[in-house]
Amino acid sequence: MSGESAFSGIQDGVGPWISSSRAPADNRLDMDTSAEHLVGAVTAFNALKWGYLSAITGFDSGTAAPSDGHIEVLYHFCRGPSVATFRVKLPREDPSVPSIGPLVPSAVMYERELSETMGVNVAGLPGRKRQFLSDDWPEKVYPLRKDFTMESAAATHAEAPTVGGEDEPGTFIIPIGPQHPALKEPGHFELAVDGEIVTHANIRLGYVHRGIEKGAEDRSWVHNIYLMERICGICSHIHATAYVLGVESLAGVAVPPRAQAVRTIFCELERIHSHLLWLGVAAHQAGFDTLFMYSWRDRETVMDLLEELSGNRVNYSVNLLGGVKYDIVGKAADSIRRGLDFLERRLKRYLKIVTTDESFLRRTRGVGTITFDEANRLGTIGPTARASGVSRDLRVEAPYMAYRDFPVVPVLDSRCDLEARFVVRINELFESCRLTREILNRMPAGELSVPAPRKVPEGEVISRVEAPRGELFYYIRSTGGAKPDRVKVRTPSLCNWAAVLSVAVGHKLADIPMIMVGIDPCFSCNDRSITLRRRGAPGGVPGALEQWSWEDLRQYGIKYYAGGGR
Amino acid sequence: MNVVLALIALVLFPGGLFVILGSLAFEYADRKLIARFQNRVGPRWFQPLADLVKLLVKEEIVPTGVNRGLFNGLPVAALAASLTAALYVPMAGLAPAWGFRGDLVVTVYLLMMMTLCIGLAGANTLDRFSLIGSTRALTQLFSYEAPFLLALLGPSIAAGTWRISEVNGYARENVWMIVTQPLGFVVALIGLMGKLELPPFDAPEAETEIVSGALTEYSGRGLAFFRLGRDVELLVGLTLISAFYLGGLANPLHFILKTLALLFVTAGLQSLFARLRIDQTVGLWWRAGAVLALVQLLLLIVLKLLGVRL
Amino acid sequence: MKIASMLNDVFVSLFKRPFTELYPYAAKPAPERLRGKLLWDEQKCDGCKLCVRDCPARAIELEVADRAAKIFVYHYHMDRCIYCAQCVASCKEGALSMSSTLYHLASADKAAFTEVYRAKGTGVCKEEETPD
Repeated sequence: MSGESAFSGIQDGVGPWISSSRAPADNRLDMDTSAEHLVGAVTAFNALKWGYLSAITGFDSGTAAPSDGHIEVLYHFCRGPSVATFRVKLPREDPSVPSIGPLVPSAVMYERELSETMGVNVAGLPGRKRQFLSDDWPEKVYPLRKDFTMESAAATHAEAPTVGGEDEPGTFIIPIGPQHPALKEPGHFELAVDGEIVTHANIRLGYVHRGIEKGAEDRSWVHNIYLMERICGICSHIHATAYVLGVESLAGVAVPPRAQAVRTIFCELERIHSHLLWLGVAAHQAGFDTLFMYSWRDRETVMDLLEELSGNRVNYSVNLLGGVKYDIVGKAADSIRRGLDFLERRLKRYLKIVTTDESFLRRTRGVGTITFDEANRLGTIGPTARASGVSRDLRVEAPYMAYRDFPVVPVLDSRCDLEARFVVRINELFESCRLTREILNRMPAGELSVPAPRKVPEGEVISRVEAPRGELFYYIRSTGGAKPDRVKVRTPSLCNWAAVLSVAVGHKLADIPMIMVGIDPCFSCNDRSITLRRRGAPGGVPGALEQWSWEDLRQYGIKYYAGGGR
Repeated sequence: MNVVLALIALVLFPGGLFVILGSLAFEYADRKLIARFQNRVGPRWFQPLADLVKLLVKEEIVPTGVNRGLFNGLPVAALAASLTAALYVPMAGLAPAWGFRGDLVVTVYLLMMMTLCIGLAGANTLDRFSLIGSTRALTQLFSYEAPFLLALLGPSIAAGTWRISEVNGYARENVWMIVTQPLGFVVALIGLMGKLELPPFDAPEAETEIVSGALTEYSGRGLAFFRLGRDVELLVGLTLISAFYLGGLANPLHFILKTLALLFVTAGLQSLFARLRIDQTVGLWWRAGAVLALVQLLLLIVLKLLGVRL
Repeated sequence: MKIASMLNDVFVSLFKRPFTELYPYAAKPAPERLRGKLLWDEQKCDGCKLCVRDCPARAIELEVADRAAKIFVYHYHMDRCIYCAQCVASCKEGALSMSSTLYHLASADKAAFTEVYRAKGTGVCKEEETPD
């Protein structure tokens, strides 16, 4: 599908609302609009039913001097390989846009991130105060602005933070997180329950926000590969890959086919690793520890393989700007084949267990159903969407790297429930095994890397790849220097949280961990401030909370043991 | 029985210390078996003892707003009940330390005290997780206790007595009742697993949903006592079931072999299933369990009336 | 409808050795490509400092007293290093490599994590002992 026909109809549909448009790349259409016309443009766009909202980027085009430049907000809508973006330029002193949440439910999460980190005033945003930055982060200090300084962040400390607040009469709130055995990483979910049935669900992220996007602006192009790799442990390679693909595109570097094939093999091996890990975690959430132990035992096969190929079990550090570091030849290729044979045998067993074991099916069949229309409306992506019959897979729709020469067969399921998500992921594993074998058998010859420039020419690029959890969206902007101007990362789990919240209502409390784990959430990917809050037993007054900060807890521990234990 | 012997029986053997150490050994065997089923190594022999000692020396945090007396007293009551129950069963294959007509009912009641105490403890601490855990524990109590008692009633009716030592004697002389009353055996074993909240019936303490259920706020000594009480109850329960259904316990060798065999089966059952949701455990067992037990009893009564010797 | 679907696995495991590796009593040999401690070949180094520039963790410092005569002082911080091997890829002379045998790098003393080499053109003399 060429760029022209992919965007046809859009210009006519939103014509009156945009001031100008251009196509900066084959698969991109940029349309300029203003804050006043934004809602009209998005409404008209929605009526075309062209695509889904993938990310909202904000960048500050200025410098440290507050009067330079402007703030720009980009609304990226995607359909297959094509990206249509609405661009709104805003003045730095008082940037405001209306919320498009009423039109696009998944926008709320992105708009909140925008308002907290970039300081854009999004009018009409519902809900709680903070989602990504910690509750005691000072007001009016926006980290992603160019005039942000560490001193301004340390300067003011808001008063004692509160989590949640008072329970409304008649409701009973179960807090899940930030510390909870159900969560591998901290997040806070407030579930209002009536007996065992959930009546309302709320989410608060940001507990492991590390400021990676801001950090990227201070590191060279090469350093950032490793920073991006550490956004997440189980999707580390795909993050680095999305980044280098974007930078190479900006710099006009043509990566040799063998390097692309090696990158793809690592991507697929990582997908195998990630899905096996998820299988174990999901089984553990269901209380089926035996399946957990066995699937993780088998996961060791792929981890050992990755260690043999790259030198590390996690953070393979395979990518270079312009290619890869390691080759896959001879003995290594044979190891991969043997490992895949073993895994396929085990996977057949797991598929049978997941689809026939009665005790397991009781926890997954008919639970957490997201219908096809709901999935579309909520903007779900990845295996979660594919289990509801929505065929979104970037490897198929917008092939990149070696997927052009080695096509992927999409795995779909129409049952829409948790069981479907299990089946989809296991079938994707079979597909990954097949694909890896095929690439190994027909590896293109050639070099492993080509030189890349240290200063990347000015421009913007959007790099989208299919991570194990769904579409990973990178927006990279360069002003011609040795460091990037803006790197925006929108990870797949962020898209799927809206689905969880809407599906949670009406289910039993016992099903909530399974539903949460069904989207394969990766908190590290979501947050780029740690405050310990202990929700103690309220004394007589419903909803009153006890709060200790980390420092209080630490001091208490020290005093306790220094005093001989009493 | 003179006072010294009585004290020894109560504190050292076969009650008290022996039961405590024995239950720790059984916890080790259980965890090791489950680990081997899952292709893992499992803990070393002193792990349960180390866990107990560790908990005993840790600080106990009493949350605000609870009734202190209840908070501190319930774990003691639970452990005391379990240890007392141990006195009435043929521990170590020897005759029970005490016995009287009707001690079966008393023993079952003492075994139920544990779950009651957990439920009360959960309701006492006003934490959300504990409240839900306590509700689930008490709900599960209703579904498991009744079938469990009915299942123990079967051998008792066959033996024609309410006294545990006499049922034990009867079981020694006759065909193993697992053969003549298989339904009762199944109900009893699963009833025991439900009472102890062993997987897959551990919804009341589903770690991934409600942290630790009713015991969430317990730490230090209180938690140690509850856990120990649970282990003791496992030992006592297994002894009781093997005494009734596996042909009685005549000597220590029988005791070790039969209870370990039952433990093996229990560990296997723990590994093979996903956790059932609370409504599923209750729904399944309240109907299926009670019905099976009643059917078994009915069969028994009819056969006895017909004069068939079992 | 199937219950106890994992019965097969569970039963077989009783007769198999546990999968767990009893490290450190039993250790698998490390793969050849393992990224362990960084090794520097002073003969090949030509003092271009690309490794210093490209290291994401600022783990390498190189003082060049005389580039032609190869008089260098090379600092390597094992605690800062993230073992990514970018320096190995950046070095045009192939003077850097990552050891696959030196990876037991834990130490209770911070000083042990910095290695300083002085190259004098004819040979290298290492200043600090390294932990193993």
